[in-house]
Parts: sequence; structure tokens; C-alpha cells
Amino acid sequence: MNNASNNILKSIPPTTDTHIAPPPYFSNENEISLFEQAYHNRLPVLIKGPTGCGKTRFVEHMAARLGLTIHTVSCHDDLSAADLIGRHLINHSGTYWVDGPLTQAVRYGGICYLDEIVEARKDTTVILHALSDNRRILPIDRTGEILSAHPQFMLVISYNPGYQHLLKGLKPSTRQRFVALTFDFPNAAREAEIVQTESGISAAIAKQLVTLAQALRNTANHDLEEIPGTRLLVNAARLIQSGCEPRRACQAAITECLSDEPEIVNALANIVSAVFAG
Amino acid sequence: MEEKVGLAWHRLVTHWANNRFPDAAVNLSQLSRATAILFRALGGNHALMVQAGSATLHQARRNWLQILAGSDRKEDLAWVDHEALRLPPIIDYYSDAALNRKLYFWLAALCAVDNRTHLPWLQHNQQATQWLIENYPGLAADYTQLVQAEIRRRPSIEKLPEDAARLEHAIRQALLVPGSIKQLPSARWSHAPVLLWLRPASSSNEVFLAENEQDSTHTDHNAQQKDEIRRTSRRVELPKRKGGLLLFHPESIFSWGEYARVEHETSENDDDNLVQAADDLDEISIATDSQRTAKSLRMTLELPTRHIDTSALGSDEMLLPEWDYRTRERRINQCCVKLQPMANNAPCALPEHLLTLQRRLRRQFAALLPVRQRLKAQRDGLEIDIDPFIRHLSHRTDSDNRFYLDQRKHERDLSCLLLADLSLSTEAWAGENYRIIDAIRDSLFLFAETLSDIHDRFALYGFNSKLRTNIHLYPLKSFEEVYDAGIRGRINQIASAHYTRMGAAIRYATTILSRQKTRERLLLLLSDGKPNDSDHYEGRYGIEDTRDAILSAKKMGIRPFCITIDQDAHDYLPHIFGKENFTVIRKPSQLPRNLSFLYAQLTR
Ligand SMILES: Nc1ncnc2c1ncn2[C@@H]1O[C@H](COP(=O)(O)OP(=O)(O)OP(=O)(O)O)[C@@H](O)[C@H]1O
Ligand SMILES: [Mg+2]
Repeated sequence: MNNASNNILKSIPPTTDTHIAPPPYFSNENEISLFEQAYHNRLPVLIKGPTGCGKTRFVEHMAARLGLTIHTVSCHDDLSAADLIGRHLINHSGTYWVDGPLTQAVRYGGICYLDEIVEARKDTTVILHALSDNRRILPIDRTGEILSAHPQFMLVISYNPGYQHLLKGLKPSTRQRFVALTFDFPNAAREAEIVQTESGISAAIAKQLVTLAQALRNTANHDLEEIPGTRLLVNAARLIQSGCEPRRACQAAITECLSDEPEIVNALANIVSAVFAG
Repeated sequence: MEEKVGLAWHRLVTHWANNRFPDAAVNLSQLSRATAILFRALGGNHALMVQAGSATLHQARRNWLQILAGSDRKEDLAWVDHEALRLPPIIDYYSDAALNRKLYFWLAALCAVDNRTHLPWLQHNQQATQWLIENYPGLAADYTQLVQAEIRRRPSIEKLPEDAARLEHAIRQALLVPGSIKQLPSARWSHAPVLLWLRPASSSNEVFLAENEQDSTHTDHNAQQKDEIRRTSRRVELPKRKGGLLLFHPESIFSWGEYARVEHETSENDDDNLVQAADDLDEISIATDSQRTAKSLRMTLELPTRHIDTSALGSDEMLLPEWDYRTRERRINQCCVKLQPMANNAPCALPEHLLTLQRRLRRQFAALLPVRQRLKAQRDGLEIDIDPFIRHLSHRTDSDNRFYLDQRKHERDLSCLLLADLSLSTEAWAGENYRIIDAIRDSLFLFAETLSDIHDRFALYGFNSKLRTNIHLYPLKSFEEVYDAGIRGRINQIASAHYTRMGAAIRYATTILSRQKTRERLLLLLSDGKPNDSDHYEGRYGIEDTRDAILSAKKMGIRPFCITIDQDAHDYLPHIFGKENFTVIRKPSQLPRNLSFLYAQLTR
């Protein structure tokens, strides 16, 4: 046996059930149609935005809408190319190849979603280059295979510009291959709607939570390094919905999650008290 | 019997006249950060800091008890101007400390409400209150409690003469149902001050005091009063006299001070006289909790005065712009930078007291900075690389046997320019026999040692200024020069002088950094306080100009970072640099050691 490809254990293509209702997503602008156009033109998409603003939810929603499976990888600085592409494993009869999430999507179609891409090492991001220009190929040097992407393959990457490290950041040559969508927090009315839908809380409390979030976001950069995302509001709303006292819920689910400095946490508690009567 | 009456009398007098509850007093110093954060959260301008405002002398009808007891003439009110959010230095109006605390937060919230529409005082306070209680249910609940306490504290209507009673009634109505009172009935006396409202604004009249650039005297800004208390001066319209009676709306005149001021204004319009006039006024406040003498207070006078000289400089030296936040323009050729090479810099070795620390730093740095990178699939190395080995097994090829992991030096593609503040304030003592400037010198030494050890590209500059015409930059080491005994000689020579026109120095450093071809460019600013110079360059002006310089640097892809020893830096540095781009060192003596570590963290 001299060709490893005989030995490749191809993962079974996941069946896509297009009848599953997409998870609710409230759009801000025209990002849904932009994403669809990118998909139909086989262009990769880059999503920028602060944490908890709905990036993952959006991709999940779009995948369901377009009837695609989704392979999500959260990047970190120890992520190697093999973690994305695949590797050989050993069993009793020798070695066999297992596709990584990226290869699976390339082979059978579907969205490969690389979350927090800037965290990945630079040598990891270069493997995306041939995939994200019009070649749409993935060379797998370990098996000698050069994989042409499935027509339904789509690459989506995301990162949070606020967290960028001095010596990190995307290379221009990587960045310029993508169609970029910039996400921000939804406006107050829509955010309240999201909080309500996700938690089942009353409209009045949803509105108060959004008022709180906006007040906290006003202090960003001066007092807070992190700004609260919609996720925190949904979490707080769920606590309140299940009977937790609002001020306590906001403290546990929002303010304590934003800072560790006791002085700041106390000051944030005052903002909570301004919004929720005790 | 007589004795009994006397006792009751005394109790009555002190109780009514004082109207204060020292046991329940809350100090601004305990809450300044928390109130500032609430202010910003509710939309307040990030450039403004919380400061203690001066007491306002109100012209309300004092009851005869207060006149007897000689108290209650000054009330601390809150307001916001172009420099700061001014809150009373102490609040002890209510018997419940929690309520006094709530008043602080209420006032900070009220200050945050936008008044760009410049509504008159009565309307603005009611409207702002309405807006707050509609949007912030928590504040609304506090407000209800505060109004009840405030009404209890106010002079009782039955005891007031008819016109004053009508006025007082209207005020109460406006407090109870904000938005319900369109106009106050006129009365011979002003009403008692409304503690839940902001002091009437005079923002349109608040103009910088332009000092004469030549004759301005030097103030050591370390000596400046920490909780600076502002003197106020406002221009008010001269009340019209008609048949011996003063006819004016109560809200148009607020203090005896102003009243006196008006008279001065009609007689003279000379600035010097205005200063004198303000000195005569009773409006200069003395902090209730302050034991310092009034002399030690740095008085900042806001007077509508001469215009600032903004003529463009013409010279062949390097000219730089300056940002004027009031007109929102970046005026070109405002600042003249002069390079001042260090004179007689005899080469020297690293000072002995730094040797141990330097050796320790060198050791720690090897561990801190991951200057090494793991290399996979090497022919030789320290560890086994399992992946290529498995691949080898699966391919059954003998050609490639790279089964090892090795390490290699990381490429650090970065230039760093360190800019050190060498203004006179660094002359201050930081400990026994140790001045701030000594800490800066030691920091520069160790920083240079470390960076040359790890072969990072760096440059060192010092700066200070004497007005916009003389911004001195001291090149200690350029990017091109190699760190050696000669450079050490220059570092050894640094001395403190003059002021801190930070914006210009940053702009100069930016031009140098922008010429560096590396991927990352870092601008480190070593500072000991706010930007300031001896002209109008201070307070918000200096802060906004520095912020503008930093924003421009960021736009050019430079990363600025500030290391300061100013413990009050949280008030203004976030606005200039952004929260994550500065750090406060608690003790100057820790600076030399921490600077290098900070650099490691920043560039890791
Ligand atoms: N536009 C939206 N429509 C519906 N739900 C949303 C929307 N935005 C945020 N959410 C809610 O907020 C939660 C967090 O959103 P999501 O996980 O998509 O954030 P993210 O941007 O991916 O954050 P991170 O960068 O931390 O991964 C979701 O689970 C959802 O409940
Ligand atoms: Mg996500």
C-alpha cells in the first residue's frame, strides 16, 4: 500500500435537514442579503464585532436558512493546522486519516466558522489563503491530496477588533480576501425585542435591561475595558424570569462579569440601582 | 421658668438654623469616582472630571433664626461647566446618610442630562428631572424620597410673607410634578436654594482666562490643590430698578457676589480690576471639610476675557498643530519644537545602584518574553514530533525523517519610542533622597538595558515646554543609534524644567515613529501628571489637545501607551488614551522596575 488515500476514512457526509426552523435572529441592516449574496458568489465572509452581539447566532441562522451544516472552531494560540485539516490516527490495523472540521466542510459542503480567528497562529491562517481566493482549494500535504471545495462550501471567520493584541491582528493579505460585515449592538428597541424573545421576560424589564446596557456602554473605554453584549442581558433576563430579584440578577449576570476591580464593580452597582428600583 | 424658655429657645435656634446633620455627612472624596462613572453612564462628557464646586451664596429670605445664628448663608449647589462636573464637597442636608449619598448620585445624573438646547434654569431642571424619572426607575424612586426630605427641609410656607409663600409653593410644585411650572411668580426675595436642582448655568459666559504669555507666573502643579475648588464668576444682567424696587425674576440673580460683580462691571472693564473684584466677592468658597487655609487653594477664575493668541508661527524650526476643543479645529503651525541635544554628555557606565536590578531583569526577561517559537518537523530537536512520525508510518516512506520539535528565536518586528516628561514637576520628592526625575532616569537606564539585550528597536526622547514657542525635545537615543556609554551619558544628564505641552511632544514623536518601517510601532509616554503649560494650555484644553494628538497617532497605526505616577490619572487618562492604554504606578520608586515589565507585557 503506497497511497495513503486508500486508507482515508471519509466521514459520512452529514445530512442536512432544511426543515429545522432557523434560530431567531433579528437583523440590523442588510447583513442577511449580503451574506446570501456572498454565499452565492462563493465569497468568504469576515464578521467583526464586539462580544455577544450576535455573530454566532447570525451564522447559525444563515446556515439554517441556506440549508447548510455548520462546523465551528474556536481559535486559540495553540491551534495547529492539523486541528483544522485533519490528522492521522493509529489503530490496530495501522494508521488512518480523519478529516478536520475545515476539510469536512470543504469536502461535503457547509459552513466552516472560525471564531476569534486572530487568536490562531499565523501559520494556521495561511492555509486559508488558497481556499479564500478564487482557487478554492485546500492542499492537504499529509495525504498529498489537493481538495477542490464543494460548491456549497463557505468559509466564515470572525473576530472582535477590541481585543486585538499589539503583535497580533490579521495580515492584510488574509483580510483582503474576505467580504467584511461589521456588527454592532442593535438599537434599543431591537435589543429589547431580542432580550424578550430569548428569555420570555416582560417588555418593561427588557427595556430596563437595555437602558442599563446602554448606560454601561457609555462608560466603555473610560471605566470599563469590556462592554456588555446582548448575551449578558439575555442571561440577566433569564435569571429575573426564573424569580431572581432584578438588582441581584444584574449584579450576578452583568456587572460582576465586566470587571474585577471592586471600586468599579461598586460603581456599576450604582448604575444598576439607577435603573432598577430596589 | 425663664431657664426653661431659654433652653427651648436655644434648641430651636440651633436646630432650625443649622439644618445640617454632621453625623450623616457624606464627603465627595468618598464618591468622586462612583459619581463620575454614573455621570458618564448617563451620557455625560468623558472629558469632564468631578470636582468640588464652590458654595453659592444665595439671596433667599433667611429666616430670623438663621440671621440670629449667622448660619446658612451658603449652599453647595451642583453644576457642570466646560471643565468639570462640580458637586458639593460635602452633603449633610438630610438626617439620613443614605439620602445624602443619594443626593450626590442624583446631582451627578442631573448633570449628565444634555442641555444643548440651553433651556432656562427652571425649565431645564424640570425637564431633566422628568427625563431621568421616566428612563431610570431606580433614580425615580430615590427622587421621590429626596423630594419628601427636601420639602421637609424647606422653609414652611405658613411662615413666609405672601409673595415668598407663593414662590415657595411653585417651587414645591415643580419638585413634586416636574414640568408643571412654566414660570415662577415674582417675589422680593429669591427662594431658598433647591438642592435637588443644578445651579443656574452660565456656560455661555464661561470663557477661558487667557493669561499673558510673558508675565504669567509659574505654579508648581504638584502643589496644586487636589480637590481644587473653583471660584465662580458669572455675568448677569443688571436688574432694573423701578421706583426703588428691584424687579427681576428670582432665577435671574443668584448671589450677592454677582450683585457686587455687576456694579464692578459697570464702573470698570479692566481685567485686573475684575480679578480684584472677584477677590472682593463672597463667592470664593472654603471647603467645609478643609483645614487648609484659603491661601493654599489654587484659585481658578473663569472670566470672560481677552482672546487667546492663536496666530500662526513662522519659523524654520519644526512647526506642529494644536487642537482647540472649543472651536473643534486643529490649528496649524501653533507649536514650535526645538531639538535640544544634550550638552557635555560624558560617557558613563550603568549607575551602580542599578546593577543588581539590571541583572535580575535580564534573567526574568528571558522567561517573560517568549522570544522562542516551536518549530515542527525538524531533523533534530529537543522533543519528538508525533505527527510527522505517524505520517511517516502511514506513508511508509523513508525519505523524510523529520520527527523532532525545535525552538527558534521569534521575529519581533517592532519599534518603540519612549517619551519622558521632563517638566519641573518631576523635581518633586518621591521618597527620601529620591526625586521623580531620579525615578525617570533609572527607568530610562533599565529600559534601555533591557531592550538592547533583546535587540528590540527603540528610541528615547525627553520633553518639556515653555509656551507653544518653545517645546524642547531632548534626543537621548534615536532609532539609528546604538545604545552605549555615550547614550548612557545623555540619560545621566536629564534634568527637569518648565512645563508639559504634551500634545506637541506626542505629535513630534509620531512623525519619528511613522518613519519606522516595522510592522508594529509603540509610543510609550512616561508622565507624572496632566498636560499643562503656563498659558491657556491646561485643564480641558490641554487634555483635549493631547487626546487629539493620540487619536492622530492611532490613525497612523501607532499604538500609544501611557505610564503615569499620577494617582488621579483615572480622571483624565481614559479620555486621552482609552482605558486599556495606560497604567498607573502606585509609587515612583517602582517605576524603573515596572517599566520594563510593562513593556514585556505589551509586546508579548
Ligand atoms: N441579532 C440577534 N438576534 C437574536 N439573538 C441575538 C442577537 N444578538 C444577540 N443575540 C443573543 O445574544 C446571545 C449571544 O450572541 P452570540 O453568541 O451570537 O454572540 P457573538 O457575537 O458570537 O459573541 P462572541 O464574540 O462572544 O462569540 C445569543 O445567544 C442570543 O441569545
Ligand atoms: Mg460567538
